[in-house]
Amino acid sequence: MINDKNSQKIVDIIRNYARKHSLWILAYGTGCGAIEIPPTMTSRYDAERLGVRGAATPRQADVLLITGYLTTKTLKRVIRVYEQMQDPKYVIGFGSCTINGGMYWDSYNTIKALDRYLPVDVYINGCMPRPESVLAGFAKLQELIQAGKADGAKKYKENLEWYRENQKKVIPTWRMPEYNW
Amino acid sequence: MEKTKLSIISQIKNHFNDAREKNYPYNRVDFSVRKEIVPQVLLYLKDVMGFKHLSHISCVDWLEDNEFELVFIVWSPADKIKVFVHTRLDREHPVMDNLDMIWRHAHTYEREMREMFGIQFTGLDAPEEFLLEDWQGPPPMRRDFDTETYAAETYWERPGREDAQDVRETIEKRTGEVLPDFAKNYKR
Repeated sequence: MINDKNSQKIVDIIRNYARKHSLWILAYGTGCGAIEIPPTMTSRYDAERLGVRGAATPRQADVLLITGYLTTKTLKRVIRVYEQMQDPKYVIGFGSCTINGGMYWDSYNTIKALDRYLPVDVYINGCMPRPESVLAGFAKLQELIQAGKADGAKKYKENLEWYRENQKKVIPTWRMPEYNW
Repeated sequence: MEKTKLSIISQIKNHFNDAREKNYPYNRVDFSVRKEIVPQVLLYLKDVMGFKHLSHISCVDWLEDNEFELVFIVWSPADKIKVFVHTRLDREHPVMDNLDMIWRHAHTYEREMREMFGIQFTGLDAPEEFLLEDWQGPPPMRRDFDTETYAAETYWERPGREDAQDVRETIEKRTGEVLPDFAKNYKR
């Protein structure tokens, strides 16, 4: 009965439904975009009606918001945080800096495309994106989760070598634990 | 206040003969001194004349003169006057005395300048890097460091920005504004 294809489908629907309504974001702000999170969470826009709320530690969180530019120094911490998070986990790239470098396109110390280093499920455009667009991004993520297409974590596991290679290119002295799932 | 400023200038000039001064309006006085007597000047300002607070140490890269300029800004809470102490270092071998025994927070500025400009402070006890972890290139705030080329070589760039326009050229074309010659040396 468990291996039956149709019953697995029903389980998936219920599981995805549950997952998409409890997106806990890690309270970890990088760059300047974190300033848009408080208005999103508080009463004006009230993200909690979508099931979005803050979590204190990586192991309790589902969503990693990369809010703006990432220096190579922060990238180290972000990779460690991402690898400590437990499945299901999703990454939202927030602002134009994560997409193509934004206004830091010629900076000596910031990466220009986040999806070379971490698997990104949803990108939110803007500099900075307003709370409306942040909510739209979360709605899009929920859509993807319900359709079973938000599989960034799976992509990361399968292509770990490619991601590691890119990460080590910008982090020359790699003093981080190697996780093996 | 003008009277206090003039008395500060004459007092400093009496003690340090080769200090050159410049009297700015409002509450600012500048001195240029040799780098060897900077600790003496600052100690004299702090202990005798009441400039208790070090506001900032900044560095200017004079590429054309082949020199670095260090600027120490000290503030007197009693007189409400700030004094800028300028000094010039050789750009090839920029070595300066460590000053963090006079003001402890000079330590932070010195570490930053060591990384960003490559200035060595003799006796600075800070083995670890300050902001730039794993940095392997030249000091990035020097003016001969080409940020754009470095970023293009180090970080992968997503295609799609090739049609970005040069800001100065675009302004020149649109408004007919004539740019000064020096501005044409700098892109963007």
